[in-house]
Amino acid sequence: MNATRRRGARIRLALAGIATLAIIGPLLWLWQSSLMPGTYSVMDMGYADHGGAQAMHGSGHSGHLAAGPGGPSAPTRSLNEFIADPDRKADVDVTLVARKQRFKLATGRSVDGYTLNGTSPGPVINATAGQLVQVRLVNESVPDGITLHWHGVDVPNSVDGVAGVTQDAVTVGGSHVYRFVADQAGTFWYHSHQVSHEQVQRGLLGALVVAPAQAHAGTTDVVALLHLYDGARTVNGREGDVRVDASPGSRVRVRVINTENGQTSVWAGAPFRLLAVDGTDLNDPGPVRGTAVPLTAGGRADLEVTMPEDGSPVRVHIGGPTGLVLGSRSHDAPPVPRPTTNLDLLGYGTPAPLGFDPDQPDRRFTYEIGRRPGFLDGMPGIWWTVNGHMFPDVPMFVVAEGDVVRMRISNQSGETHPMHLHGHHAVVLSRNGVPATGSPWWVDSLEVPDGDSFEIAFLADNPGIWMDHCHNLPHAAEGLVAHLMYEGVTTPFTVGGPNHNKPE
Amino acid sequence: MGKHLMKLAYKILAYFIAVEVAVQASMVVLGDAGLFKYIEQGGVLDKAAAESGAIQFPEFFAFIVHGINGMMVIPAVALILLIVSFFTKIPRAVGAAGLVLGLVVLQVALGLLGHSIPALGALHGVNALLLFSAAVYAARRGRAAVVSTPAQPVRV
Repeated sequence: MNATRRRGARIRLALAGIATLAIIGPLLWLWQSSLMPGTYSVMDMGYADHGGAQAMHGSGHSGHLAAGPGGPSAPTRSLNEFIADPDRKADVDVTLVARKQRFKLATGRSVDGYTLNGTSPGPVINATAGQLVQVRLVNESVPDGITLHWHGVDVPNSVDGVAGVTQDAVTVGGSHVYRFVADQAGTFWYHSHQVSHEQVQRGLLGALVVAPAQAHAGTTDVVALLHLYDGARTVNGREGDVRVDASPGSRVRVRVINTENGQTSVWAGAPFRLLAVDGTDLNDPGPVRGTAVPLTAGGRADLEVTMPEDGSPVRVHIGGPTGLVLGSRSHDAPPVPRPTTNLDLLGYGTPAPLGFDPDQPDRRFTYEIGRRPGFLDGMPGIWWTVNGHMFPDVPMFVVAEGDVVRMRISNQSGETHPMHLHGHHAVVLSRNGVPATGSPWWVDSLEVPDGDSFEIAFLADNPGIWMDHCHNLPHAAEGLVAHLMYEGVTTPFTVGGPNHNKPE
Repeated sequence: MGKHLMKLAYKILAYFIAVEVAVQASMVVLGDAGLFKYIEQGGVLDKAAAESGAIQFPEFFAFIVHGINGMMVIPAVALILLIVSFFTKIPRAVGAAGLVLGLVVLQVALGLLGHSIPALGALHGVNALLLFSAAVYAARRGRAAVVSTPAQPVRV
């Protein structure tokens, strides 16, 4: 009797043990298989997606992915070969020294962060279209190492500034030189792409303005860079209003840069025109009033305000009650409530030639953002997915130079994502099936709200290995990262390694 | 000895989940109240500010607590509760723990889907009450077993 009971108890215990293993075993396996090696090449990450072009280009080109750098099947070039003319003298020559330090905002608020040449945001770099810009970055005291990425400038791949992909992070005491031709006039910005979710937030950033070769006479040009320091909302590093002098009847070009992780919106107390988005002029933009311009995280919007003839000041709001006040005699402009309507760029301005035919694409890709539970490098959570796969098992979008590429970006993840493609500008063809009818809407940073899908197209004309990621930078650190890779291009750099490269 | 420990662990874990559900309800309302007070006083919260990683109003921490509790702590504890239930001889302990875990999974799903479809957020609120009840039901399983034990010798 006792023996039977004891045997029953033993069987029960064994069953309980088996049930426990049945739960814990798969979890342990999933956890273990999610752990990332300390050092890896982004070329070995995930799986190659050829956008349906294998037949056209032959399998020989794709072989190098499996073969790794220097594979035997195709002639390969290191991305280090993609540089600006080394013999050309720099037209704009800047040295930026990065420090980890406590610094004061104009209002006296003390911030524990990072500076470039002693300030954050760093100095505005001004160039004229066609000039060669040379920036020497010196790391004086940022412990994790730094890089500079030229957000929105289609630079040669070797100076894209992504730690572990296009360079090693610049360690304390080191320096790195970036050289590129600023061939497109527009509003851009620069920021660190090493531990970027932390370094950008804490101040390693600045504005880059490329003026057109022929300047518009009689226009006041002003940069309005939005950044939050410890929750304090600033424009050009100042809390509260930034005052700009503008005479009655004159025009003011306000270059708004959103350096934050989330979308903001811009509106004004007077009619304005939206001249440019993401550093690209819009075609034939008309005046709008009572409308807000949504501004993607990482994106830029250039507004042109014509000052009232009666000399009254105009307030330009950036996301909240503050922003810029344009005026001559007085800068006392009352706040304007945020308009309830948004400017829809799908139908703003008039069409113009794109320079390629998006209806004859060489590659078609899908970039579908989702979310599911799992482990990310051993960390349990509910993480982002790309085409159903979780980082690092994400697609590598493979293209050949000269390809016309179409991509469908859709979002079913429950949260909005500002998607940023490095090294290229893409044109928006349609949103949720509704075709674009206005000016060509070229973007490098596209807000993809939850539930929406965009069809975009671009010309693969800048060979290299390019990140294509969410610019809500903590999301990138949570795995919302993929890469665009040109056939036959390799990188000698690795994530991790002795420089502790950590691009996200 | 081990059996009693397991029974105690089961009870404590189940009550812990019930308390956590109460904490969740309190945190989300605390966060909402803080947000509306912030707006009332002229504060503006756009996505840029919400994602800036800094606290815009003092009660913002409540949303962070709600997120960590709801997506990490409670699911982990519910899973441990299920495992512990295998080792207790409490009647219907496994079923009760399974029910708790199922409702937790549903709760997380409703919470996240509520970001896209707010109406599902309303169900999230109702499901919280179900989860609370299930956790208390599970916690009281052990008590029923203890009460019935001394009655047995009398019947024999």
